[in-house]
Amino acid sequence: MSDSTFYDNWTTQLRKGLLELAILNSVSGGPLYGYDIVRRLADLDSLVITEGTVYPILSRLRNEEYVETYIEESSAGPPRKYYRLTARGREELRRMNQHWQRLHDALGTIRKERAR
Amino acid sequence: MIDLTPDAKERFELYLGRMRSALRGSRAVEASEVEQNVREHVEIALAGATGPVDAERLGEVLAQLGPPERWLTDDDRPWWSRTLHTISHGPEDWRLSYLAFGAFALSLLLLPIGVGVFVLIAAFALSRATVELIHDRGEILGARRWLVLPAIWIVLLGVVLPLLIAPVAGISSLFLDDLDAPEGYEQIRFHAGVIGMVAGAWWLVMAGVFAALMKPFRALFYPVSANLTRKHAVVLALVAIMVGAIGAAVFFANGFV
Repeated sequence: MSDSTFYDNWTTQLRKGLLELAILNSVSGGPLYGYDIVRRLADLDSLVITEGTVYPILSRLRNEEYVETYIEESSAGPPRKYYRLTARGREELRRMNQHWQRLHDALGTIRKERAR
Repeated sequence: MIDLTPDAKERFELYLGRMRSALRGSRAVEASEVEQNVREHVEIALAGATGPVDAERLGEVLAQLGPPERWLTDDDRPWWSRTLHTISHGPEDWRLSYLAFGAFALSLLLLPIGVGVFVLIAAFALSRATVELIHDRGEILGARRWLVLPAIWIVLLGVVLPLLIAPVAGISSLFLDDLDAPEGYEQIRFHAGVIGMVAGAWWLVMAGVFAALMKPFRALFYPVSANLTRKHAVVLALVAIMVGAIGAAVFFANGFV
């Protein structure tokens, strides 16, 4: 396996794993409609390569009852479907953020030790 | 509702068709919900357009959405889609593994009409190629063992068992045809004695051949044969001597000389 293929595979896997966390964090501040979530994530460099990837994840998160939806009329076009966190989703997000923080800290510790 | 040119409409419908096809069968994701979101996405992205939106402008939005075939994670796919996806997009060792297993399954179906033997040999070659590829990469077989080992096991048994049994049956029948066998219960003892001696002698020969050709044998049927050593040839020789001795005891105890 070439270096670039390895790197590409690694970043793809990492993105896949982090996308759910990023989506849940996006809606944690308040309800957002699908397009808005996609735009926010797409603005973060290297997190979303293909915007459509977000929609199946939103569907799965709703199926698993981490988010719920409601329809609201829009003055700028057709009615929009908004996503918001459920209590279950909020609890899961808290655990995921904690875990991510632990991973981040552990990696930081290793890198600091290697740098010495 | 945005206005699309006929070309753009056709392109959008094609895209949605690909999306439905890509999401079909997933239990975790509802295709209708994703389609609704994609329609809404396109509506909002093109909301500022004046006049009908052409295929080129729509294409830019769809390009950013990306190919629907890549949207699902492996966990979201149904099992058959995961299998097909692995065969068509997966690393070559997984593709080879599935091909090897497919050929093996096909060989079992075709065995009754004879052609299956050739397909089984092909499945064996594919399985061995997979094992070598994985070995070269310094990886372990892991779950792929269930896909590649059946063909190697069946061919190994298909070679070893006939080699051990068929000559014994053939040579024994030659002796039994030439000798005057008694009738009744004595005949059974007579046959058992001859078969025991022939089996013992033949397996002793095979133990010698096995010991001499241990290296190529181990390489041919690797990894099933990976743990075979000369000790196993010695065990076969001991079993051969024991079976031969029992056969001789049965034969001579009855006075047939």
